[in-house]
Amino acid sequence: MERHLTNHLTDEQFTDLLLGTSPSAVQAHLKACSACAEEAERVSGAIGSFEQHSRIWAERRAAMPPIMAPVRPPVFEWLHRPQAWTAAALAIALAVGVGVSARNHHVPVAPAQVATAQPAPAVSPATLKADNELLSAIDGELRADESTPASAYGLSTAAHESRNRPAKRMIDE
Amino acid sequence: MQLTLNPDIIACVTGEPTLTELNDIEALDRIYRSRLLRFVAYSTGDPDLAETVVQDCLLKAYNNRDSFRGDCAVYTWLAHIALNLIRDHQRTRKFQFWRKVQKTAPDLSEMSSLLPSRESSPESQMLARERAQQVSVALETLSVNQRTIFLMRFIEEMELQEICEATGMQISTVKTHLHRAVKAVRLKLGGRI
Repeated sequence: MERHLTNHLTDEQFTDLLLGTSPSAVQAHLKACSACAEEAERVSGAIGSFEQHSRIWAERRAAMPPIMAPVRPPVFEWLHRPQAWTAAALAIALAVGVGVSARNHHVPVAPAQVATAQPAPAVSPATLKADNELLSAIDGELRADESTPASAYGLSTAAHESRNRPAKRMIDE
Repeated sequence: MQLTLNPDIIACVTGEPTLTELNDIEALDRIYRSRLLRFVAYSTGDPDLAETVVQDCLLKAYNNRDSFRGDCAVYTWLAHIALNLIRDHQRTRKFQFWRKVQKTAPDLSEMSSLLPSRESSPESQMLARERAQQVSVALETLSVNQRTIFLMRFIEEMELQEICEATGMQISTVKTHLHRAVKAVRLKLGGRI
């Protein structure tokens, strides 16, 4: 493999040089050939730079706390709980028992006894006004207690202001 | 008078491997996480996947520490486990593997300002960073085996025999991959000869 030493190093000789296993003839060639010496210096320097940069990157990354994936409960986790099966069995037994009992003691309900939806009773304007005043007072107290990082630094953002607008009246006056 | 002997000394005398590191998951993490992270991140081109693989690797090593016979370095054994985990991911996530490299590969330029200033001038530092980036880009063009072996030899500074143990390859195969990898990197760096 020690051929062409009057020319330039072969790929194999170059790799051996980087591995530090090159024979003395290659070392002698490097002293005589500035092109090969320059290239060897350039490639080994680049690999060295990569090693240094990547090591720092890895050390920084390893120093960061690991990103733990949120633990999600497995789907149908309750299926694996014996208490759930017991509770389900009891619920079914109870439902069946109640159903049978109701069927045995079924009493027809007269149409007059069936509950029907009744219209809401009319509210007087005075009551509406009192309710609105009460809601406004509650809203004001809630806004007084509310503090945000922005407000703590004396900053006021549009979002914060819009959030602090009075609550929409739920009852028309 | 009763004498107590250090277990490490006993291990040295009897020739048994010292399992101190492997018996402590925190020590394993502290000593090897950064090194493994770099190897896996540049092998896969995916730092986030590397985090997962390294965590799995250390846990697997800890759980199977009894099977470590001590006939190689702990890092060689860990690299072997990491390689198997990477292969598992290659099989299951092949469509994602190494294709996102442009978006997710470790960005060396981010670290440029953190490097100790060994270079003589800002120009020299910039040149060193560019060269490092060129090597990083060249790694993307290599085959998986070439990249793995290149990283093991030149970045992790493992001996050829250790690479054989970690990869399960013959030494002639390792050398062939290494020659090709060096040739490709040289070309990427603008080899003139």
